[in-house]
Amino acid sequence: MQWLLTLESDRDPIVICRLMNIFRRKGLSIETLTLAAKPESFSCITVVDTPGTDIDHIFNFLRSTEGVFNVACYRYEPSSAAAYVFVESNANPESVNRILEALPGSKIIFASQGKYLLEIGSEGRLPQSILELGEAGFLPLSRVKTSRESSQMELVGAYSS
Amino acid sequence: MGKSFTGSEILLESLRRQNVKVIFGLPGGAVLPLYDALYSAGIRHLLVRHEQAAAFAADGYARVTGKPGVCLVTSGPGATNLLTALTSALMDSIPVVALTGQVPASLIGKDAFQEADTVGMALPSTKRAFMVRKAADIPSVIQQAFEIAVSGRPGPVLVDLPKSVLVEMAEPSYPVASAGRPRRLREWNEGEVRRAVDMILESNQPLLYVGGGVISAGASGELRELAELTHIPVTTTLMGLGSFPSRHPLSLGMLGMHGSYATNTAVSHCDLMIAVGARFDDRVTGRIDGFATNARKIQLDVDPSEVNKNVRVDLALVGDAHETLQALVAEIRRRGGFSVPPERHQWFQRIGSWRNEHPLDYDKYSNVIKPQYVIETVSRIASEDAIIAVDVGQHQMWAAQFYNFRQPRAWLSSSGLGTMGYGFPAAVGAQMAFPDRQVVAFVGDGGFQMTLNDLATIVQYRVPVKIVVINNRSLGMVRQWQEIFFEKRYCDTDLNFSPDFAKLAESYGIRGSRVEHRADVEDAVRDFLSDREPRLMDFWVDPTENCYPIVPSGASLSEMVVGPPQFRVEEEVLDDLWAV
Repeated sequence: MQWLLTLESDRDPIVICRLMNIFRRKGLSIETLTLAAKPESFSCITVVDTPGTDIDHIFNFLRSTEGVFNVACYRYEPSSAAAYVFVESNANPESVNRILEALPGSKIIFASQGKYLLEIGSEGRLPQSILELGEAGFLPLSRVKTSRESSQMELVGAYSS
Repeated sequence: MGKSFTGSEILLESLRRQNVKVIFGLPGGAVLPLYDALYSAGIRHLLVRHEQAAAFAADGYARVTGKPGVCLVTSGPGATNLLTALTSALMDSIPVVALTGQVPASLIGKDAFQEADTVGMALPSTKRAFMVRKAADIPSVIQQAFEIAVSGRPGPVLVDLPKSVLVEMAEPSYPVASAGRPRRLREWNEGEVRRAVDMILESNQPLLYVGGGVISAGASGELRELAELTHIPVTTTLMGLGSFPSRHPLSLGMLGMHGSYATNTAVSHCDLMIAVGARFDDRVTGRIDGFATNARKIQLDVDPSEVNKNVRVDLALVGDAHETLQALVAEIRRRGGFSVPPERHQWFQRIGSWRNEHPLDYDKYSNVIKPQYVIETVSRIASEDAIIAVDVGQHQMWAAQFYNFRQPRAWLSSSGLGTMGYGFPAAVGAQMAFPDRQVVAFVGDGGFQMTLNDLATIVQYRVPVKIVVINNRSLGMVRQWQEIFFEKRYCDTDLNFSPDFAKLAESYGIRGSRVEHRADVEDAVRDFLSDREPRLMDFWVDPTENCYPIVPSGASLSEMVVGPPQFRVEEEVLDDLWAV
């Protein structure tokens, strides 16, 4: 089962090493992973494959790991309930712009190295082709858990245009 | 301009501000500047004979005090020698702050003499590992290290200190002291507490399953209040021993692989299990799909990642055990208390009948010394506040079964990692924290040979630890498994070529004696416990004695073997054994 995890960490690279070690030890199959550096922190976004029964533990383990914060977990959601879409590295950036234009109120909440996480505004609905994964590189998602204290603050960081 | 100090001086002042009284360590090249500053720092330092012992001693100190234990070693091999002990502390959630020397910053990454990637290696063995880059950063890093070690779920933290940082001059700025004050975590809400109380009051056959989290949180009083208020029997894990008095009428002792028949049967029959600060470890649960299958489960834990990790629960209250238990008790009292229904009395009677059916027992009339008898005798004669440290193996399990635990923070055991060699140095750490209490280290003849070089330490500093060697001339637990599960094919478990421990102790300047007859045990124990000096007693116990009950690996608790086996192990079970 596919899940998308986003998180931030202290700027100390050893925390990222710890994170990779956690992924390895907990047996997560990493499908894609992007790290980005900000002046005060790193941010990480990754799509993993793991059974649904494990994801609670992994989310909780990550959020209780020293130096890691703002962990959020998104589930693959191939229905109109999808509120987010992850755009893979091979996607044409133009298509990201097309989605933003087509879906009023939607916004980029993470962008790095050709990978994007978009939040779909309440006025928009994802095209059926994306919902059915008809368009390669698009992963519709719904957010299931977050350790962010403020629901307003969605930026994982490292946003760049 | 403020006054400048060396990094070493800043570090020692930072430790002083954390109220550090004693450091367990062993010097070397990279930490020479620090030891030079320590010479006149007024912080006590105990020179151990191997770095692993420094961390075990810090662990023992932490378990009995609840405060972080501190160890200090040099770079490279000094640091790598710590790792086993730090992993043990991590598994058991013990706050230890490990200070390691490192080569000068300019040489890091150049494979310099005694350089090792300490932070990298410590990564899975610690809660957090820091490398200090500038002397001016030392105060804040040390403050963070102490806070992290004790907050939430406690654990070890490592601080790596390049030699260049230790000699660098800086004007220190010390953070406002908040160290040592754990951050209390609470994620539950009142509705969840009410739901938990509903479940507790509705249950006819409830059971409290208690782990080390209760001791870490200082919640023994609240646990007892809840148990007595609701008349719920209490079973503890190896880590939870002491959180609830062994002789309390509601106490069921330890559960799991070597838990009693009554306790494990109660686990299998309870209709509600309330896990408090316990992590459903495989040695507790046995085969997971056979564990407490009739029970709804409530889990109280400070670490959210423990929830649903091994066993799915019906309700989780994530938070500090002290506060959470208080909330449960308060809610029950708010409802006017609880009058114990007849079903709970019947439940307790059923447990009593299981206890009578298969009590924890051994041959009390044997002429050969039974190890359980030695432990019972020490338990009977030792003072009420005695601290007990154990190594790992059969004697550890017998101590867990037969010692009378009276209070928390008086039982030291490397429980999660199961590290042989732990008991003796941990006892040294505990004795340094409480010089006037009796501290007894039960060790096996196998584990003791891993760290006995610290006999020199207790002589040098006159640390009056009492060492009880349960000597069965073998790696007893492994031998037992070879006997039961491997058709008596004893492969390299024979320790008949060990030294004479009593004479060895004498060679260090410690009074040592050997006891070979049952009739001599009691007098020997009385004599050596009354001594104010370190002592060693080598008890030659029955080498064929096995530890029962035992839940075979891969079996469920209800499939435990209560006595010497008359059963055959199937091929697939043997395969499972190799996988463990």
